Order: sequence, then structure tokens, then C-alpha cells
Amino acid sequence: MYIVVIGAGTVGYGLVLQMLENTEHEITLVELDGRRASDLRDELGQIVVHGDGTEVVFLESIGLARADLVIAVTGNDSHNLTACQVAKQWFHVDRAIARVNDPRNERLFRLLGIDSTVSAAAAVLAQLEFDLPEHTLIPLMHLHKGGLEVVDLHVQEGSEAAGKFLRDLSLPPQTTISLVVGLDGIPQVPTGDTKLRIGDEVIAVIAEESEPELRRLVSTPQAPEADPVAGGGA
Amino acid sequence: MGCGRVGSSVAVRLEQEDHEVTVLDLDESSFRRLPSSFKGRRMVGSGTNHSDLESAGIEGTDAFLALSQGDNRNILASQIVKHLYGVPRVVTRLYDPFRGEIFGRLGLRTFSPTVVGADLAYRALMDAQPAPSSEDRDTDTAVSALGE
Repeated sequence: MYIVVIGAGTVGYGLVLQMLENTEHEITLVELDGRRASDLRDELGQIVVHGDGTEVVFLESIGLARADLVIAVTGNDSHNLTACQVAKQWFHVDRAIARVNDPRNERLFRLLGIDSTVSAAAAVLAQLEFDLPEHTLIPLMHLHKGGLEVVDLHVQEGSEAAGKFLRDLSLPPQTTISLVVGLDGIPQVPTGDTKLRIGDEVIAVIAEESEPELRRLVSTPQAPEADPVAGGGA
Repeated sequence: MGCGRVGSSVAVRLEQEDHEVTVLDLDESSFRRLPSSFKGRRMVGSGTNHSDLESAGIEGTDAFLALSQGDNRNILASQIVKHLYGVPRVVTRLYDPFRGEIFGRLGLRTFSPTVVGADLAYRALMDAQPAPSSEDRDTDTAVSALGE
């Protein structure tokens, strides 16, 4: 596979180091900053090229038309988006992956046909949320097709799901419960007879738009008023 | 978006036509290009930043012009306001003719000052009368001086 990585900052550099272990891939690493490019060229050799990853004439010179995959991981959303759109529209590159620095741009990138997005902020948030006992639903990964995602659900006390058999739960369409991990840490492939308990961890494949409904199913119902933490903290 | 020579001129013209205009620029000193008579809003901020766009009142805006110096910034800002905020009229300046063509195909209304400028330069060159040689010019001057 011919892979072009645009942006040789911490993310691009780390990614290329990892990919170089797989010698089947041909890689070009594009860097806009001349000094950074020449430093990296000393270390990684000819695969590092100094140039603008959004410029058609330059991209032609590195043979972008025969690339199978473009990965744009600069720290700048406008460069990442433009690079991916130019790669797909002008060079007909099959797959383009973009790093999203501002989480609010994620929806736009998907809307515009970027095949996959990675967001450091979202990854860090998910990681942190994962460690909070009260987490309810965490997206683990987006599947490439059909607007599906893999999520981690955490059954809360008093929730609609707690104490119910799976067959008795009305789940949104396209929901597949794949794995239930009990408090004892033993994973179980669920059937209709599996009973969900407080504290169970559930791995499911769901349609992205079902997130709110599933979140509601496993959450403790919110008391309409009375905020117990009011006045506390700070 | 972008209070350069072009942005400020267009803003003044639109404001004179009684449109409600907000000019967005990253650098406050750029507003020096607007005359003090300009009654529109001057706002320091980025057209690629959702919060800045919202403070500028992007929701319900009828038209957006991306005229910053960066092609890629113009591309991102234009697509944000078009696709996420539903602004019906969006115009994008792209210096790079290739990007102009690509994003034109992708549905943006783009124009390239590079293409327009090169064309004007070429036409001006072809229209221009060859400059008289220095001898001729001396004669001309002498003649016109005599005529006075």
C-alpha cells in the first residue's frame, strides 16, 4: 500500500515510526516546515518530503494519484480538511483520514466525506470518562460503514435496564449487544435470558443516532429538581 | 471574514447599500482600513472558530464572504458556515486556481484573484502601445514644447 501522511508533528512522526515496522507499506511523510522536514530527513531518510500537502502541483510530484490512503494529521483543521478533500476530489484517492483538532468540526468532516476522523480531545475525554464510576455510554470506535459505532455502556442503579432480561428491553433498531461483563469481570456472550445487573459493562454495536436512547436506558433517572451537590465543592 | 484591501472595500460598499455588515479579522489593526464613517460591526476573531462565528451572529446570516489571506482557512470557514450554519450565500476567495476549481466542483462559489490578475496583466500587455524609443520621445517633447 502507498500511504501519504501529511503533517510531521508529534502525531504524524509517531504514526510513521509505527508504520515503518510494517515494511510492506510505501510511505511518504509531508511536512510544510522546512527545518522540521530536514531534521526528520536525517533520521528517516528520503520518505520525508518538504512541501504543502494541500497544493496540487506538489502533491502530483509525490505521486498522490497512486496513493491508497491519505492521512492528514497536522495541528490545523483547515489544512487537514483541505488536504483530504483535494486528495479525494482531484487525485481520486480511495481513503482519507483526518485528524480533527476542534471537536466541533468533526460533524463537518464526516458530512464532507472524510472516511474517518481522529480527535485527540475526544480520545482523551473518552479515556477520562471511562475511569469515572458514573459513566453511562462511551463511544469506543466508529465503524466504516452504515453509521454504526461500538460503545461501552455502564448499567446504573435505578435505570430502566437494571435487573431486566435482555429480551424484555426494547432496544433501538440496529442495536446488537455483543458482550456483557459482570462485576466479577467475567465476559459473557449474551442471550435473551441474560439479566443486566447494576455495574454491568455492556459492549454493543449501535446506530450512532441511538446514543441518547441507550444512554437513557442505562442511566439513573434524573430527579426533576433537588441538586444534591448544590452548594458543595468549589 | 478578512479585513484586507478587498474585504474592507466590499464591506464599505455593502454597508453603503444599507446591508447590515460585520467584519471579522484576526488582527484588530486591520480595521484601520475601514473609514471612521463605516457603521458596520468590527469584530476581532476567527472565521474558522465556531464560537467567534456565533458571536458574529452567523445564525440567520444571509451571506458570508471568506476573504482571508489563507486559502485553506477560507475553505474551512466557508464549509462550516454553509454546511453547519446553513448560510445560503457563501463566496470564497482562493488564490490557488487548482483549489478554486476543486472547491467549485464541491459546491463553493469560488473566485481566484490569481486567474483574474494574470488575465488582466496579459490583456494590458497586449493592449499597450509599444513605448516610443528615447530618441522619439525627445523629439515628441521638443515638438510639444514648441507647440505651447
